[in-house]
Amino acid sequence: MTPIPTRTMRSVPRRRLLAGLLLTPVLTSCFASGGDTSGEDSADGSRLRVALAFPPAENLSPYGADATLLSRLGVTEGLTALDANGSAAPALAESWTRENDRTWLFTLREATFQDGTAVTPAAVAAALTHATEAKPVTAALSGVALKAAKADGNRVRVTTEDADPALPLRLSSPGLAVLSPKAYGKERNKPNPVGTATGPFEITKVSGTTSATLDRNDDYWGGRAQASGVDARFISDGTARTNALRTGQVDIAEAVPVSQAAALEKGTRHETATTRTTSLLLNTDKGAFKDPALRSAAREAVDTSVFAKDVYEGYADPGVGVFGPAVTWAADKRVKPAGRAKAADADGTSVTVATYNNRPELPEVAQVLQQQLEKAGFKVKLEVREYSRLESDALSGKFDAFVGARNSLLDTGDPVSILASDYSCDGSYNLALLCDKKVDKAVTEAEALSDSAKRQQAAMDAEAAILGTDAVVPLVHQQIITGVGTSVQGVIFDPYERTLVGTGTRR
Amino acid sequence: MTLLGRWLAGLARGDAGRSWISGDEVGPGILQGLGISLLLMAVALMVAAVTAAAITSRTLWLGSRRRLDERGGGGGASAVLAALPEFLTASVLAAVVGVQLGWLPALGWYGPQWTVLPALALGLPAGALLGRMLDDMLPGAFAEPWALASAARGVPARSIARQALRRCVPGLLPNIGLFVVGLTGGAVAVEQIFDIPGLGRTTLQAAIAQDLPVLQAGTLALVLLAAAAGALARLAARLLIGPALRDGALQSLHRPTPPAPRATPLLYGAVLLGGIATGLTRDPLALDTGAKLQSPSWTHPFGTDALGRDVLARIGHGAFGTLTLAVAISAAALLTGVALGLLPRLSGPLVDTVNAVPPVLAGLLTAGVAGSGAATPALAVAVVAWAPLAAHTTALLEQERATTHVAATKGLGADRWYLLRHELLPAVLPPVTRHALLRLPAVALALTALGFLGIGTQPPDPEWGLLLAENQPYVERAPWAVLAPAAALALLGVLAVKSAGGVRLPHRLAAVTVRQQKHATAGATTVGKPG
Repeated sequence: MTPIPTRTMRSVPRRRLLAGLLLTPVLTSCFASGGDTSGEDSADGSRLRVALAFPPAENLSPYGADATLLSRLGVTEGLTALDANGSAAPALAESWTRENDRTWLFTLREATFQDGTAVTPAAVAAALTHATEAKPVTAALSGVALKAAKADGNRVRVTTEDADPALPLRLSSPGLAVLSPKAYGKERNKPNPVGTATGPFEITKVSGTTSATLDRNDDYWGGRAQASGVDARFISDGTARTNALRTGQVDIAEAVPVSQAAALEKGTRHETATTRTTSLLLNTDKGAFKDPALRSAAREAVDTSVFAKDVYEGYADPGVGVFGPAVTWAADKRVKPAGRAKAADADGTSVTVATYNNRPELPEVAQVLQQQLEKAGFKVKLEVREYSRLESDALSGKFDAFVGARNSLLDTGDPVSILASDYSCDGSYNLALLCDKKVDKAVTEAEALSDSAKRQQAAMDAEAAILGTDAVVPLVHQQIITGVGTSVQGVIFDPYERTLVGTGTRR
Repeated sequence: MTLLGRWLAGLARGDAGRSWISGDEVGPGILQGLGISLLLMAVALMVAAVTAAAITSRTLWLGSRRRLDERGGGGGASAVLAALPEFLTASVLAAVVGVQLGWLPALGWYGPQWTVLPALALGLPAGALLGRMLDDMLPGAFAEPWALASAARGVPARSIARQALRRCVPGLLPNIGLFVVGLTGGAVAVEQIFDIPGLGRTTLQAAIAQDLPVLQAGTLALVLLAAAAGALARLAARLLIGPALRDGALQSLHRPTPPAPRATPLLYGAVLLGGIATGLTRDPLALDTGAKLQSPSWTHPFGTDALGRDVLARIGHGAFGTLTLAVAISAAALLTGVALGLLPRLSGPLVDTVNAVPPVLAGLLTAGVAGSGAATPALAVAVVAWAPLAAHTTALLEQERATTHVAATKGLGADRWYLLRHELLPAVLPPVTRHALLRLPAVALALTALGFLGIGTQPPDPEWGLLLAENQPYVERAPWAVLAPAAALALLGVLAVKSAGGVRLPHRLAAVTVRQQKHATAGATTVGKPG
């Protein structure tokens, strides 16, 4: 039976108090560091607080997924950059000439690395060589073999194995950032961009996948940045990112989800048309959509205006092709697809449509698609998973159709590369499993052209050939919504999603 | 296997290896995540304690003054709280308190004020569940002879209340231990919404990216924590009622009088069924993207969701699937839980292990073993759902074995089977069943949590958890689209709890009364023992 009260219980609170006092230092270490950066304002410009969607995944190695993170924060640069029209513009290279089919000469500008050493032809050549040796090789170099060596004067000679007319575009890729020799230490595959890059901001501290601290690079060749530094936070949840901006914890929040856009005040919401296209890819190798007539039926069943207007709430443009309105030259050069098959009656054909939920709008797109396809007589089953659990099944053709968003110019800035990797027989990311002679021929022809206008026209011809097979139904061209605090100016709204913070960004 | 061996060998030297994805050292990251998660869990437990105190205060007050018969049905509020999905509370708190009112930071983890909102989201349902279980046992404690004797001797009510708590808490300790581990490793949704770099998120990301070293280290940390929490819970139980257990001097925690059958469950049932029936007459899949997120109106009584579908129709059509599956899983979990709970030596370590594995991870493992068949999601939930019930059974059983009436029955020559069937099970089953019913809404939601792995329900199925999840991003713009399914779930919780104590058939009532009388006589023989 339970005993009635004892006096020993009284002394417990005192013991607890003591324990509490002892615990305090332990507890403070249980919080994340670097919180209250309300931005120490100095006469020298204030610090910017930025919320990014994707935390560093590979130790900030520029060869992988972290490359865009580095270039968006103004840390790294390559020899070239992309201008608004999608052509190569000078960056670390002041100018370039083509010596012959396979060789290019890049003249460097006078610049210094963030560690104080000069950007020399030898250092640049070494950096590019390291990139070619990385495993896995960075996306911009997949299927390309190149050699870089210092040349006379302040020049670097880059030689490719096959003629590569798009080389200057390719070198603008964030994956081919130039770092000082110090960055390439013990680990071959993992150069360290902390304090070794050339951009206007220099990383000083990274706290795991939570935050990163950047200071201004006072010796930047393009002039001193107006903000004295950047405090970047990695917030993967879209609502949380938006909340961070709404509560004034950050000045800039990238990639605000469509569902949260309405919650932002008008002045803080900036939409930019991007080169990201959401499309329905039909499996041309196995299953129901092997039949071009059924593919044609599926295309005719889809009403793209609904997606842009309702699912994306106007933050998108209806799908017109592989390249959307953000690719400024595309509209004038677009060719009408020819040779499309005549649509057959779907007649209850059942199909599986797969998509991923890492982008919250995609499951909604898929459900609307389902309704549209069912109206046309298909029977549709949806399969929604996390992207990493979906990719290999999709690439091996386990589903009849796939709904995905793809940035058509991200890796290389070259319109032909994406057509080759996504729609040609040996493409590495060919989700439609398309292998069509006409398409391959058009892509190969485009790959050989060096004149940028001709290359763009050839890319559009290839796009028409691809659309002609009905392997892909472009649904929408997305706009990216960036939340920017009212006092912030000079944010770079980049359709290629490669830059965000620059020298002119200030609060 | 050799990899695992090498990793374990490295661990002995304090080296947890390097992440396959980032190439970083695993150890420091996991330790930091563990620290953050432990702190969050501690604050959440404090919230849970306050919640539980609020729920039990009325029973304690009345019971210690021997006025328990004034206690009404009660329990509705706590059942609603226990049915609240964490992610929903979290997003509502972040949006309303954090953003709109600006009282507390809406995200981050930089100091004490950052802990409040996430701890509330985690602690409220946990506290409601624990409080409800405690409230369920207290009347039994107050009915014990010592309480009567103390009251008669004029011992202050406060002391009686404290002793009643001391009598009941040991039965809950294993479950508190389970919460400690579950809140540390399983708070993924809340960590996501408030952007807290805790252990749950780290392990989940590692599991998805197949980053084995991080996953192993994270799981190991949780397993160790589970072992420690389990040991502490046992130690605390020993301290609180150890001597009584050893001497076999406990009373059975039966309710003195069974609660009178009430009409309220019928009312709740009617409301729920009415809602579902109305929903069934409508089309749950008809999309009208032009009419998205509309406010409730005559055409759409509960408004429309993000794709313009009628929310009422979706609740109605989702009910059958959600309820049958949840009830089936709960029943299976109850059976397994009680069966394994009867064998504490076998189930004790098993409970600790199962509970240490975050539910999503268990889902991944189950999917890996069983494939992605139709039964996989149910199996994945059932694999973990039995653990708290088994822990509860074991704790109650340990006390029941130490009761005087069992000793008396043994003395009369009863064999083990007779004891089990006529003494132990009748005492243990009712509270554990009520516990299982209380967890019914949580089971329904657990199924959804697996959806993103591709093994749960797939859209556009109107399963209730999925309804909540898909409308969660719109909680500020279209609160009704989330509140309506949440209300349905809460109603289910209340209904389950109320009907557990309420709707009883007359002959069952008679049986219970007879048993109570028997216990009263058994207890009477030991009244003289000093307390």
